[in-house]
Amino acid sequence: MDPANLSVQQITAKINKKELLLTELGAILAGRSKYAQKKLNLFISFDPQLFTEQIKKNEQSTQVNRPPLWGVPVAIADNITTVDQKTTCASRLLAAYQPPFEAQAVSLLQENGALLIGKTNLEEFGLGCAGNSSYFKPVKNPWDIKRTAGSGAAAAVASGLATFALASDVRGEIRQAASYCGVIALKPTYGKIPREGLIDSASSLEQTGILARRVSDLAWALQVLAVPGNNNPPAVKRPLYPEILGNIPAKTRIAVPADWDQAPLLEEGIKNNFREQLNKLARVGLEINYVTLPHFQYASLVATIIGAVEAFSNLSNLDGVRFGYRKEGKHLQEMYIKTRSAGFSSKLKKFLTLGGLLSTKKYYNSHFLQGQKMRSIIKKELLDCLQENELLLTPTTPCNAILLDSSPPAGEELPDPAAYYTAAANLAGFPSLNFPVSTNGLPYGLQFMAKKEDEGVLLQIAFLLEKEPIKWPIFALELQEV
Amino acid sequence: MTAFEAVIGLEVHVELLTQTKLFCSCSTDFGAAPNTQVCPICLGLPGGNTPRLNKKAVAYAIKTALALNCQVAQEITFDRKNYFYADLPNGYQITQHFHPMGKKGFLPVNVAEKTKNIGIHQVHLEEDAGKMFHVGDILSSPFSRVDFNRASVPLVEIVTEPDLRTAEEARLFLQKLRNTLLYIGISDCKMEEGSLRCDANISLRPLGSKELGVKTELKNMNSFRAVYRGIEYEIERQTGILQEGGTVIPETRHWDEEIGATKSMREKLSESYRYFPDPVLLPLKTDTKWLEEILYSIPELPDSRYKRFTEDYGLPPYDAEVLTSSRDLADYYEQALQTYPEHKNLSNWIMSELMGLLNANNMEITACKVEPPELGDLLKLIDQGTISGKIAKTVFEEMFTTGEKPEKIIREKGLTQISDEETLLKIVDTVVTAHPGSVEDYHNGKNKALGFLVGQVMKETKGQANPRLVNKLLQKKLSN
Ligand SMILES: [Zn+2]
Repeated sequence: MDPANLSVQQITAKINKKELLLTELGAILAGRSKYAQKKLNLFISFDPQLFTEQIKKNEQSTQVNRPPLWGVPVAIADNITTVDQKTTCASRLLAAYQPPFEAQAVSLLQENGALLIGKTNLEEFGLGCAGNSSYFKPVKNPWDIKRTAGSGAAAAVASGLATFALASDVRGEIRQAASYCGVIALKPTYGKIPREGLIDSASSLEQTGILARRVSDLAWALQVLAVPGNNNPPAVKRPLYPEILGNIPAKTRIAVPADWDQAPLLEEGIKNNFREQLNKLARVGLEINYVTLPHFQYASLVATIIGAVEAFSNLSNLDGVRFGYRKEGKHLQEMYIKTRSAGFSSKLKKFLTLGGLLSTKKYYNSHFLQGQKMRSIIKKELLDCLQENELLLTPTTPCNAILLDSSPPAGEELPDPAAYYTAAANLAGFPSLNFPVSTNGLPYGLQFMAKKEDEGVLLQIAFLLEKEPIKWPIFALELQEV
Repeated sequence: MTAFEAVIGLEVHVELLTQTKLFCSCSTDFGAAPNTQVCPICLGLPGGNTPRLNKKAVAYAIKTALALNCQVAQEITFDRKNYFYADLPNGYQITQHFHPMGKKGFLPVNVAEKTKNIGIHQVHLEEDAGKMFHVGDILSSPFSRVDFNRASVPLVEIVTEPDLRTAEEARLFLQKLRNTLLYIGISDCKMEEGSLRCDANISLRPLGSKELGVKTELKNMNSFRAVYRGIEYEIERQTGILQEGGTVIPETRHWDEEIGATKSMREKLSESYRYFPDPVLLPLKTDTKWLEEILYSIPELPDSRYKRFTEDYGLPPYDAEVLTSSRDLADYYEQALQTYPEHKNLSNWIMSELMGLLNANNMEITACKVEPPELGDLLKLIDQGTISGKIAKTVFEEMFTTGEKPEKIIREKGLTQISDEETLLKIVDTVVTAHPGSVEDYHNGKNKALGFLVGQVMKETKGQANPRLVNKLLQKKLSN
C-alpha cells in the first residue's frame, strides 16, 4: 500500500510495529512535495530540512504512550501562525512576516506527534477560492491544472501529501476548496478549534477547520483540536469522535431548501447530479424534508457586508509601521497609502474599500446594521430548521472549480456567488461539512450543516456515505510514481 | 458691545491603577524603558488578536460611573474606533461608543459659596494609544519614535455636559473630580505624568442666548494652572474675534505654556471615525452581585464627609473643606480623633503645624512619619499640662523628622513642663530679688513689668515652667 494512502491509525500502528519508518515516509513525502510544488504551487513555505528535523525529533523520542497523531503528516494554511516558519497570508504585506508565537492549534498538533509538512498557499488572507489574489500566484487543481484548487491545503490533501490539513473558513473557503478538489472538509462550530494565532480577516465569521480524505482521520484531528477554550466551556460534553462514526441515528432527517436550485451560476451538471444524490440518500432510508428558508439566499451578501467591515478593521494593523512590507512616503499618510496600495491585491483592496465605506456613519445604519439584523434572522431560520431535522443539505458550490484564466476574470464579484450555499454556516456559527461527489469528471461537494456543537452527526453522515474510499485525482496517481 | 457667555465642556482621560493592560497581561508601570512592556496583543501583531478583558479595569470604570452618580450599563460592550495613526497599533482603538459604562451623572461643585451640579454626559472605558516622540521639529523632522508601553493601558474617559461657564468653574470641577477619583482609588491622577489629561471644548454665545456657538477643542493642558490659563485665554481670544464681527473657526488648538497662548493645530474634521461593535469581545453582563460588590467598595465621598465634618464634628466650613480635600488627609484626621476627640483643636494642629511642615518639605500626607494616634497623644500632653503649647511645637518637629513617639522625645530631652509650685516658687523668689526695679514698677501700676518677670522665670527654666502657674505665683508674691 502506498504510504500516502494510510489513515491516521494505520500510520501510527505501522510505526509502532516498525513496519514503517518515519524517515522512509518523510523521504517519500519530501520528494513528492517538491514535485507537486513545481506542478501545483501549493506551498508558500516548504522546508525539507525542517521536516527532516521534526522526524528526527520524533524518532529520538522515548515517549512510551505515543499520542494519536504520531508521525501523521499535516499541512497548515499560511494564515495560521507558526513559530519556526514565516506566516504570509499570501500577501505582499506579510511576505516576510515571522510571528514570534504559534497558533494554539499548531501546538496541539505537534504535541500530539504530527509532522508539519509545510505552509500552504491560499487566497490573500484566506478570502475566497478563485485563485486571483495570492501574492505567490494561484494554486492549481490536481484534477485539472487549468482550474483553481481553492487552496493549497485542499490540493495537498487531495494529492496525498498530507493526511489532513488546517485552513480557515470565512464564508465557506475550506468547504469550497474541498468541493473543488474532491476531499472532505469540516468547518466546526465557531470557536471549537482554538482561534488563538489565526490571522483572521473577519473575526466573527472565521473559523479554523480540517480537510481530510477520510472521515476517521478528520475525526482524530477534531478530537485533538477541539479543546476547551474561550468559546469552549469545559462543561461542554463531547463524544469521542473517532468512536461514534458508525452510530448514525436510525431516523436521521435531512432538510433540503426547496429552492436549492435557484442559486445564481448553478451548473446544469451539478443540478442533475445533486438530484441523483438526493434519491440515493432516500434509498438508504434517510428522510428528506423540503423546507422553506426565505432568507438563506441572502447569506453570501450578508457575510460580505459584515466580513468586509471586519476585514477593513482587522487588517488596519498592516500599515507598514511595525512589521511587514513598507513603501516609504514623504509623510505618514503617504506611507500608508503607498504601502497598502502596493501591498494588497486588487481583489482585497476592493473588499477593504467596501468595508471602509460600509463602516462610515453614512452607511452604518442602512447597511451594516441591516446586515446584522439579517444575520440574526438567518441564524433563527437555520436553528428552527435544525430543530426539526438533524441536518441541512445543499450542494457546496454552484459550480466545479473555476478556470484560472477565465475571461472576463471570475471570482471578484461581490457578493461571491461561490459562497451562496456556504456563508450561512459562518453567519450562524454552525458546523458544516463538505462531502465530495463528482460530475463531468470533476469533483463537487454535498454540504451538510448541523446545529451548534453537533459535529458528531456530520461525521456520521459522511461516514455513511464513505462506503468506498474517495477517488484520487489523476495527479495523485502521477505523484505516487515519484 | 455684546456681552458673551462661555460654554465649556471637559473631556477628562484618567489612567486606571490596574497592574496590567486592558486586554493583555503586560505591566502598566510608568517609566520603563521604551517598548519593554509589550506583547503580540498590545502591539497589534497579525495573529495576536486574542484580547482578554481585564475585569478589574471594568470594575474601576463602573466604580467611577457610580461615584459620579451615573446610570450603569446592564451589559458591557466594546466598539472599535477605526483610524490610522502611528501610535495606534491595531489601526483601531477599543472603546465604548454605542453603550458607555455610565450615563447621565453629575458631580456637585462648590462655586462661589453655592453648589452647582455639573452634568456628566458619560463615563466609558477604553484603551490608551502609544506615545509618539517627535525628533526635532514636528513638521520638518524626517521620522518619529513610538513607545508602545502605554498602548492599551486602561483609561476611563469622563465627558461632562457643557455646564461650565468660566475657567474658574472648570478648574474647581477638575479639582473636585480628581479628589473624587483619588477617594475611590481608581487612579493616581498625576497630570504631570499624564495619568490625568484634560481637554476642553469652548464656545461663546451672547449672554441669554440658548444656542451654542462654534466651539474649539483645547488640548495639551498639563496642569490645573494650565487648564485655567488655557481656557481663560481661549475665552478672551474668541471674545475678541466675535466682538470684531468675525467668526470662530472650529478647530483643535494646543495650549502653549511657555508663550501663554493657544495655537491652531488642525481644522477639526467632521466625525470621520468609523465605529462598529468589536467582533471579538463578547458582551459582558453586569450581574447584581458584582455591581453590589463594587458599590460597597466605594468609600465615603468628599461631599458626605464634608457634611459629617461640619455637622457631627462642628468644624467650620473652611476646616472641613481643607480636611476633606484629600481622602488621606481626612483619614488622618479621623484616625487622630480616636485618641484625641477635640475636633477643632485637632483640626487647628493639622492645618497649621502638620500641613505647614508637609508644605515646607514638599511632602504628601501619606509620607508623614507621625502616626495619627501619636499626634493625638501629643495634644493630650498639652491639655494635661505635661508640656506647654510652645514646647509641643518643638516636640512635633522632632516627631516629624524622626518618627519618634512624643513621650520619648519629652523624656529624653527633659522637656516636661515644671508645674511643681515649690520648685517654681524658689525661682520666683530669685527673680524677684534680682529685679527690684521691675518690682517697683509693678507696684507703681506698670503691668508690663509682670510680663517681664514671667519672662525671666521662663528663661531660668529654659521655657519648661508652666506659664499660667508662674503668673499666679508671681502675682501672689508681689501682692504680699
Ligand atoms: Zn501586551
